[in-house]
Amino acid sequence: MAEWLTSLRLRVRALLRRRQLEKDLGDELAFHMAMREDALRGGGDAAAHVRTRWRFGNPVSLREDLRELWSLAPRLGSLARNVRFAARTLATRPGFAVTVVLTLGIAIGATTAMFAIVDAALLRPFRFAAEDRLVAIHEGFAQVHIDQLPFGALDFEDLRRLQQSFSAVAAYRNVALEMSGNGRPERISAAKVSPELFGLLGVAPLFGRTFSAEEGRPGVNVAVLSYALWRNQFGGDRSILGRAIHLDRQPYTVVGVMPAGFVFPRRGAQFNGEPADLWVPLAFMPRERLERANGMNNSVIGRLRDGVSLEAARAELGVVGRRIADAYPPVVIRAGFSPALSATPLREEISGRVARPLWMLFGAVGLVLIVACANVANLMLTRAIRRRHEFAVRRALGARRVQLVHLLLGETLLLAFAAGALGVALAYWAVKAAPLVLVRTVPGVQDLAIDYRVLLFTVLVCFATAVFFAIAPVPALDRRDAADTLRDESPRTASQHHVQRAFVVVTVTLACVLLAAAGLFLRSFAALMSTDIGFRPSQVIAASMTLPRTFYTTADSIRSFHAALSSRLSSIPGVKRAAIATDLPLTSYDSRAFTPEGGASTGSALLTTNLSFVAGPYFETLGVTLAAGRYFDSDEHQTIRNVVIVNERLASVSWPGQNPVGKRIKWGPAASPNPWLTVVGVIRNVVDGPVGAVPGVHAYEPFRQFPDFFLNGAPNQFGRDVKALVLTDRSASDIAPLVRQQISELDPELAVESLAPMNQQISDAVAPQRFSSMIVAAFAGVGLLLAVVGLYGLLAFTVGQRQKEIAVRVALGAERGAVITMVVVQGMRLVFWGLLLGMAAAVGAARVASSLTYQSDPLSVAAFAIIPAALIPAALLACAIPAWRAARLDPVLALRAE
Amino acid sequence: MGTDQERPADLLQGTLELLILRTLASGEKHGYEIAEWIHAASADALSVEEGALYPALHRLELRGLLTAEWDVSANNRRAKYYRLTPIGRRRLKEITDSWRRTSTAINRVLEAT
Repeated sequence: MAEWLTSLRLRVRALLRRRQLEKDLGDELAFHMAMREDALRGGGDAAAHVRTRWRFGNPVSLREDLRELWSLAPRLGSLARNVRFAARTLATRPGFAVTVVLTLGIAIGATTAMFAIVDAALLRPFRFAAEDRLVAIHEGFAQVHIDQLPFGALDFEDLRRLQQSFSAVAAYRNVALEMSGNGRPERISAAKVSPELFGLLGVAPLFGRTFSAEEGRPGVNVAVLSYALWRNQFGGDRSILGRAIHLDRQPYTVVGVMPAGFVFPRRGAQFNGEPADLWVPLAFMPRERLERANGMNNSVIGRLRDGVSLEAARAELGVVGRRIADAYPPVVIRAGFSPALSATPLREEISGRVARPLWMLFGAVGLVLIVACANVANLMLTRAIRRRHEFAVRRALGARRVQLVHLLLGETLLLAFAAGALGVALAYWAVKAAPLVLVRTVPGVQDLAIDYRVLLFTVLVCFATAVFFAIAPVPALDRRDAADTLRDESPRTASQHHVQRAFVVVTVTLACVLLAAAGLFLRSFAALMSTDIGFRPSQVIAASMTLPRTFYTTADSIRSFHAALSSRLSSIPGVKRAAIATDLPLTSYDSRAFTPEGGASTGSALLTTNLSFVAGPYFETLGVTLAAGRYFDSDEHQTIRNVVIVNERLASVSWPGQNPVGKRIKWGPAASPNPWLTVVGVIRNVVDGPVGAVPGVHAYEPFRQFPDFFLNGAPNQFGRDVKALVLTDRSASDIAPLVRQQISELDPELAVESLAPMNQQISDAVAPQRFSSMIVAAFAGVGLLLAVVGLYGLLAFTVGQRQKEIAVRVALGAERGAVITMVVVQGMRLVFWGLLLGMAAAVGAARVASSLTYQSDPLSVAAFAIIPAALIPAALLACAIPAWRAARLDPVLALRAE
Repeated sequence: MGTDQERPADLLQGTLELLILRTLASGEKHGYEIAEWIHAASADALSVEEGALYPALHRLELRGLLTAEWDVSANNRRAKYYRLTPIGRRRLKEITDSWRRTSTAINRVLEAT
């Protein structure tokens, strides 16, 4: 310990008196040599001076070693010197440095941005306590092919009472609440949560408190705010505690504010995945607790008790599920609704669905980085070969191999970190632009940032590339040919040729893989865009609202709102039609079990269908094609006539090969007391899930048939969703303000959640696919560009090196055409091998990628044709320029240029 | 000192340290004196190369086993004189003892029948 301190003191002193140290080292060795020389001369040695030198060895190198001993951080001292030297060397050839920094910078930038996304979505912790003990719990009805659903109220209460495996379970659901009294009324994303949720997650409020157990009952109006809402809406004022805010026109008392960075629910979950700005206690209404297999909208999260494994918890949930099933009425069980419980680790529930595509994109960007590295390695090799003379001199003067590597390392570190800085700047810009597209599909992306984790990753990448580039040219520095080099004009060793060619083949191969992936993604995106969505979205504008339960308390109030809104919207000049529905194409639906009269027998399992309620000329407004029968008439919108319109899928599932018009269906099993509904029309399938997915079975009822029971303050929000559609011949930007104005005149406090052309909603719905296609295509473009530039670089360099040989050939009468052919063949041979390997690798890559794309046959010829089609012309161009230059070579000038 | 001489025994790693410390036990010396002293004391059997000697000296100095001072030599040149520190002296005793034990043990092995 004392030794360590002494040496630190001495080294610091040496650092402060660097000049003195330098003089001392020189003097000490000079003194030694002088003494030796004196002694030899005294002994009568005539060649004393030479002999002393001979015996002493290289005093410069010894001095260097000693200086190294005295430097504060021995390795870094020389590294810093090398970096300074490298900066000076590079400054003499800025073209080289700029090429390397740009090539690497773009690749590192793309890798960094992609890592930021992967980190945000898959790696960054949720900031909950011991989050690996958190699990999402679902119900499912295997018989009707529903794997996972949120819980119904009664089932959740049973689970909470019966389970032993979890230290706590909590239910929550997203609600959109109208916040008013604070300027323009606004719909905010909120969540109703069991009071125990915050304790279960292990997150304390920033100040104030969370909910107490007694607050989980109806009529307790308290709220906890998110940090963002507190900051943006309430100016970060701590006196907000105890104050009242208005939610759905009711006063709520603010009891606490959560810390920044607390995000719950998490985006990415199958259900209730909308991050909330505000939390209120979840209390089940008496109506929610009436029926089983109904009102299933409560997501459940649990924390595993200490020492209980996930498997044990799953086993116990199996038992609990059977006990819950015992409480179900036999008629419901017979209808196929026998619940089973399942548990998924929270991380998997949130990130599981995006993990594969994201890792694949990360892999693609990794390939781009490798291509860039191979290119830069080739540049480095070329440069090392140009500098062989310098290195040979250094070696002859006694520089060791490792010192040369250090010299190169100084250079590559400088280049890699310059590239890293450029890359981080690019990535910063990229992530600023990305969230708009990504935020709705990838969990965690709302707080995408270039933070210390991402920077650490970039630094590691820079180090790895720097070390790789420093070592790559080492074989070119072998001492064996140092003597040849000094004599100059030694032929290049074959091994360098091989290395450089191999790098070009590698870049071409990887570019092929990237091109294949791009081909698959673009083709699948094109297929997606050309799918029949079943309606005409152009010229249709849709507005979404939710009628607050506290204000629209009765079915009549809702129905008269519909009527008033319809007539107001139809009266807008330029609006041809207006209609109202409970949901829109592409969005979520209520789902029901049904029985078709005289239909196909399905054994014990019941059929299920999506269900929408419509008011006014809904199908005509959306431009949905009628396949058979007719649309609802105005009488059916006024009076309950028990009619239904079904899509072709429902018709073919229920009555294959028969005319469905006039047939009847009933909600629930045949024995249920629900009325039979007569099919009056059949429409073409309208896309109702993700674009490109097979449209589901779908039924439409007039809103008049919506049971009053559910509208009179029932917990189900479904009937309170109002989607207003207008068909117009004017532009959306003209009509949208008028629509908003009409809504606001009708109910000044009602918040409009969204108001956008249907076209845009469709383009938003395919945004993730468009995003991945664009990214992969961009990666492929960069990969191809780099491969071609690398090929060009190698050929240009070889032609330069072989100038004399080519000149001799031309002088001896070789045709210019033959020279061109020679160079082009040399280049295209590499392309051929790259293409061959690349196609083989692409077949493998395609199998991975195809599982992630829409309707694509991984080995489709069209997707693969893109590879040679893009590569060969580009490669020919890259060969042609150096070939043309070689052919233009003036033999006289070239031979004289000694 | 010529190359035609018998090759001196390779100095074992760490042995050079012992020799330097021992050399300085009799008083301060500069680098050349140390080399010569070892050469003479070993009856010309050991020859210390400069390339090994100076790094070893500087290392010992950095570890605080030696201190060094610049002074004028007998022939009026500026020379760096090395001297043992108390720590160096302690260390010399330790490694001398350990060396003796080891060499006795090795001798015993060699003489065993």
